[in-house]
Amino acid sequence: FRFKDSLAEDLQSADLVISHAGAGSCLETLEKGKPLIVVINDKLMDNHQLELAKQLHRDGHVLYCDCSTLVETLQSMDLSALKPFPPGQPEKFASFLDRVLGLQ
Amino acid sequence: QFSLDRIPRSREVRQSWISSVATTLYSIVYSLPLTYKRKPDLILCNGPGTCVPVCLSAFLLGLLRIKRTIIVYVESICRVETLSLSGKILYYFSDYFIVQWPDLKKKYPKSVYLGRIV
Repeated sequence: FRFKDSLAEDLQSADLVISHAGAGSCLETLEKGKPLIVVINDKLMDNHQLELAKQLHRDGHVLYCDCSTLVETLQSMDLSALKPFPPGQPEKFASFLDRVLGLQ
Repeated sequence: QFSLDRIPRSREVRQSWISSVATTLYSIVYSLPLTYKRKPDLILCNGPGTCVPVCLSAFLLGLLRIKRTIIVYVESICRVETLSLSGKILYYFSDYFIVQWPDLKKKYPKSVYLGRIV
């Protein structure tokens, strides 16, 4: 398919996700606790997408490859080595704002 | 209860940097009277170039003692090692500059690190 309003259902039922390095794609997949292989496209890549993908890889949350090494990655991958991704903490930001505005 | 105001974009995706100076200046000229009219207590923004004119307008109104606005800038979660251009500019003009990765906190010591927001 070319476009869906939400990938939540597909993500929920997947065992493995192979995706580009978009922040939304990566974070949504990791939040659902699904193993993720991020494929970098050097020609299309936005610098800041690359930063996030690299960091997630360094932290052991995703596997990482480019189009030419994808098959090799799929053959040699060890998904159990991937670490779970802790959730973000928006409540810290919320209380920070409350303090800044003198509402706490 | 809320109202929506529209402002022109500072820069379209992939717009050339030189023409962006012109469009940003136009946005500033547009945002200044709007910010003056609204006199916000708080500006909360997360990064696009389009937020820069509003923040600069508010900063200017603060300098002129017309209205003291608290400017809170949250840098994108995509920014792990380097700041966006908006971030580099607003690091100096915001009251609170929030980053979501510890590396940036080290590089930009005046920033606030609260962990990942998302």
